[in-house]
Formats: sequence, structure tokens, C-alpha cells
Amino acid sequence: MKKKPLQVLVVEDNAGDVRLLREMFSGEKVGSFEITHLLRMSEAEAHLAKGEVDITLLDMGLPDGHGLETVRRARAAAPNIPLIILTGLDDEALAAEAMTQGAQDYMIKGQIESRALPRALRHAIDRHRMQTETDLIRTHQMEFKDEFLSHVSHELRSPLTAVRQFVSILLDGLAGDLNPEQRQYLEIVLRNVKQLHSMINDLFEVSGVQAGKLKIELQCTLVSDAIAYTVNTLQGAAAAKGIVLSSDIARNVPSVCADPARVRQILVILVDNAIKFTPQNGTVTIQARIFEEDPDFLLLKVTDSGCGIDPEMTERIFERLFQASDPDAADHNGLGLGLYICKDLVTRQGGKIWAKSELGQGSIFSVTFPIFSLPKLLAPAFSEERQAECPITIVLTEIGSQTGWLSNEVRAEQCRGIRELLRESLYSDLDILLPKMDSAGPAELFLMLAMTDGIGGEAICKRIRRQLDGSDRLRQAGLTHSTSYRPLKTIKRNSTESKEEFLERVATDIQELMNVEISARQASNG
Amino acid sequence: MDSRKILIVDDNADIRLGMHLRLKANQYETFFAADALSGVTEAQKHRPDLIILDLGLPAGDGFTVMERLKQIPLLAAIPIIVVSARNGLSNQKRAHEAGARAFLQKPVNDAELLAVIRQALGEPAGTKKPTPYDQGSV
Repeated sequence: MKKKPLQVLVVEDNAGDVRLLREMFSGEKVGSFEITHLLRMSEAEAHLAKGEVDITLLDMGLPDGHGLETVRRARAAAPNIPLIILTGLDDEALAAEAMTQGAQDYMIKGQIESRALPRALRHAIDRHRMQTETDLIRTHQMEFKDEFLSHVSHELRSPLTAVRQFVSILLDGLAGDLNPEQRQYLEIVLRNVKQLHSMINDLFEVSGVQAGKLKIELQCTLVSDAIAYTVNTLQGAAAAKGIVLSSDIARNVPSVCADPARVRQILVILVDNAIKFTPQNGTVTIQARIFEEDPDFLLLKVTDSGCGIDPEMTERIFERLFQASDPDAADHNGLGLGLYICKDLVTRQGGKIWAKSELGQGSIFSVTFPIFSLPKLLAPAFSEERQAECPITIVLTEIGSQTGWLSNEVRAEQCRGIRELLRESLYSDLDILLPKMDSAGPAELFLMLAMTDGIGGEAICKRIRRQLDGSDRLRQAGLTHSTSYRPLKTIKRNSTESKEEFLERVATDIQELMNVEISARQASNG
Repeated sequence: MDSRKILIVDDNADIRLGMHLRLKANQYETFFAADALSGVTEAQKHRPDLIILDLGLPAGDGFTVMERLKQIPLLAAIPIIVVSARNGLSNQKRAHEAGARAFLQKPVNDAELLAVIRQALGEPAGTKKPTPYDQGSV
């Protein structure tokens, strides 16, 4: 059977270069390559979208596209088609960077040996195919493992439920009075059941870490809340060992850009570890202050007077399944997953985590989080040229549950769900949801920033209402929404203003609006 | 006032008994079903004020139960609390979409379960009923 010719797309605006490239294929058997030549990126995108190309040769300097942007556009138009970059000598570094963006290879113009080009193309296609297959296998394995872990944790949870229920029933005296000794032993059972429960959760979390699936929702977060929560949760465990658990928060620490639930989770893991590895009557302290080495970050430190860690091990402890081999640590039960989960969570929120310790001298665990900056958060929205001149409109949407009685945990999950729902219901390229600004009793407030493209603020409000009204999923989830007919504010960019200045101004305005809204709510609630 | 009636649909007999003991102590009357089919028939028979529903059940699953109940006008409005060992947001979302009032993951602590029941039944939070010892999370 006759093989189909390989379809090669050459995107290059220099006619001379194209002629040279064509000559390089002249030695090949007729019908083995078919070359399509286009001059502009936009034409290439349209052509790639048809799905008829086997490989693309791309120049990074085109009349309507430059540098890495062309690579991104080509990848976006056809993510599964291998890409080779054509480059001049002067921007080889850029071409190497393009490889990290998904290009298979790069070739320097003027240095391409004619017989080598067709071979390089075939190799790139083969490599790409193998890569795709490996990825596919890995995905299947991952899915299998996730399914397995999900199954195991499900099967473990049911019997654990019964154990927990009955211990709690006994402790509450529903089956008769307990003597102090019986009560003490049942409390031990309950403590261990909770430990098992937390291990099962870790197992499940860790499958999420490996699949990169732990949900993180960045927003303006007060670390002092997370610290108070942690101290509250673990005060009992510390007191049981006579350990003094305290916090020391510098005055006026700024908010961070992080997921509050994840910050709590990280702190609980670190402080729980510190308590485990600190002997009777020791101390554990949580500190928060601006990171001196980089003032764009906040530093959280958990210091203990515990057994310490061999300094050579301070990096390895963040590895998966790492366990201290200290025989005295027999009661330090756990799966060795906590710090591994911590590291993943911290890194994905843009921070760093490290430990300093000496054996017998206690340990210091440090975590950094980026300080919250509204202008930084907004910046991606202003990168499109289209939006340079358009006014932006700020809209307030309030989402509540019809029954208004969800527990805090369920509410936190619900809140994520709402956010996803809102995103789905809106035109994602036009609207941005800002972080939840406040919880107003049973309702959650969302500020929405809309790029109006000149259609006017009220029209935007109406559109948002219409879209949310039409969302079956909101209704089915038992949620109600209200968006006022008038926008909170419309802001226009001055011609003299730089993008950065404009962002600052928008951020200040939003901050003011938030403060006004929040205090209005507080006044009406309280 | 008569005590409110709660139907417990769970295939694990121990969990049914545990819930029964806890609910009885809080002055609720309980009925049981161990599979999806009897979940629906028991609901028709007793017309409970609330249903506690597991998702993994023989002869269908919790979602089938919710679907069937919705089609029966007399039972469609009974609040349902899903208590399941199944993981994840997707089950939670699906349960809410199917009309569940709340989704609690096993092992559930009794204090939270009771709070959710009270809210679903519109009982004031301060109702003087015994507070379970086991309230904390893990």
C-alpha cells in the first residue's frame, strides 16, 4: 500500500528561507513529503485547526506573532501536532525556552544540513508519538491507582463509621453509666479511631497530590485566622503532654494570597508533628512575620523544643513515605505523608517550605506565602490588547443557600462549587470572579469584575442575572443568587496612565468598595 | 408533639443500629431499609419526616432512591441527608443536584449529623437535646 505523504506546515515569512527549506526535501522520494507554506501566524492557526498537518516548522518572528507567543499559539491551535522551531543564531536561548513550552526541537537557520532535515522531521514525529503513548499509559495507571485508593478508602470508612458511632454512644452513656476507667479506655479508642480516619484521609489526599489534583483556591487570606484555628484544634493534644502551645504574630501582618483551608491544613500538620516529636513539658510556637529576605512574602515559623532532626535529613523529610527511624518514636504514628502533602500545597501556592534542626535541639519549620496584592491578581485580566481601552465594570453578586444551614465544612466545599458554577455560567473570557470577599451569614458575596467591551455596566448586570437565572445547576444545588441591576462602579483607563498605574487604581477602588460592602453587611447583621 | 420520624437507608446493619440508638436518644422515631428498593417502599409505608440515605446500596443506589422518591408526589418533598463513604466533590455535587439537603462523609460525627437533621427539620439549633461527646473532627 502506498504511504501517505507527511504533511509539513512551514510558517515562515522569509521567502529565501522557504526556498532553502524546499530544496532540502528535493533529495527525498517523490510523494514522501508535502509542504504547505504560510506567511502569517493567523493563517497557520486556521490551517492547524483543520487537523491535516503532521508536523509544523515554525519561525518565531512573523508579521503577526513574535517569540514564545507564536509557540503558545501553535500549541493551542493543535496541541497534538509536533512542532520544530526555526531560529536565527541570535536567539538560540529563546528557541531552547520554546522546547519547555512544548516544541520538539529547534533548528538554527543556515546551519541545517540538507539531508538532516527530513530525518529530523521523522524523528520528531516518532518522538512525539512515543511521548503521547507514554503519557496515555501514565494517565491510565494514574486512573487505576486513583480508583483503587478511592475504593480502599471507601471500604475502610464504613467499618470505621460503625466503630466511631458505638464508641461515641458508649461515651455518652446511652448504654448505661461508665466508670472512670471504662471512660478513659473508650477515650483512647476514640482517639485512635480519629487517627485512623486521618490516615485514610491522608491516603486519599496523597493520591490527589500525585495526580496534581488537590484543589487550591487562592484568595485574600488572614494567617492569624489559620493560626487561631490551629492553636484551638491542637491545644488539647499539647496540654495532654504538658506542652505550651503559643503563637506570636507580628503587628499588622498583611494578608496572604493563599487558600485558607490549605493554610490551616499545612499549619495543623506542622504543629501536630511538632507536638508529636516534643517531649513532656516542652514548647511549640507559631510565629508570623514579613519574610526579611523577600518582603513580598510572609513567613510562618513553627518552632519546637523537641528531639530535632539530623541536619542531613532536613530535605528528605519532605519525601513521600519518609518516617523518622528513631526507635523512641514508636508512638509517632502516621503514614509519613504529612510533610509531603505540605510541600506540595505550599509550592502550589507559590511559597516555600524548609526545615532547620539539630538532633536534640528542636526544629524550626518555615513556610512562606506570597503577600496578597490585588493589582497582581488582576494583572492577567489586562494582558489582552483588546482590554486596553475598554472600561471595566465591578458587579456584586450574592449567592446564598435556600436553606442556609450548611455546616462550615460543607459551606467551604459549596463555595468552591459555586465559584465553578459561576465560571461556567459566565463568559469566561469577559468576566473575572474575584475571591470571596466576605461571608454574610448564610450568603457568600462575590465581586465580579467585567470587561465591558463598551456595552455598558447595566447591560453587564442584566446579562449576569440572565445567565445565573438560566443556570439549572445553581437551582438544583439549592442556591439562590442576586445581582443588583446597577454596577457598583465603572472605571475607565486614562490615556496618560500606564497599565501598572491603572491596575493600582482599580485595586484601590475595589478595596474601598469591599470595605464599604463589608461594613454595610456587618451593620445590617449586627 | 409526636416525635419526628426518620428513615435510615443503609446496607450496613451496625451503622443502622448505631444511628437508631443515637436518634432514639434524641427523641426521634426510626425506620429502616437495607437496600434501594425497600428504601422507597419503607418511605411509602411510613411517610418519614426525613431520610438518611447511604449511596452505595444493593438493588440500585442512593441516587436511584432519590430519583424514585421525586416521582412520588407525597414523598417528593421529604428532606434527604446523604451520609456516604464515597469520596469527592463529584458525588457531593450529584447528591445536591438530585435534591439532597446535605452530604456528610463517613465516618460522620454524631454532633454534626444531629445538627444537620435539626436544621433540615426546621428545629431551632438550641433545642435541648443531649450533645454527643464526639464532636471534633479528626
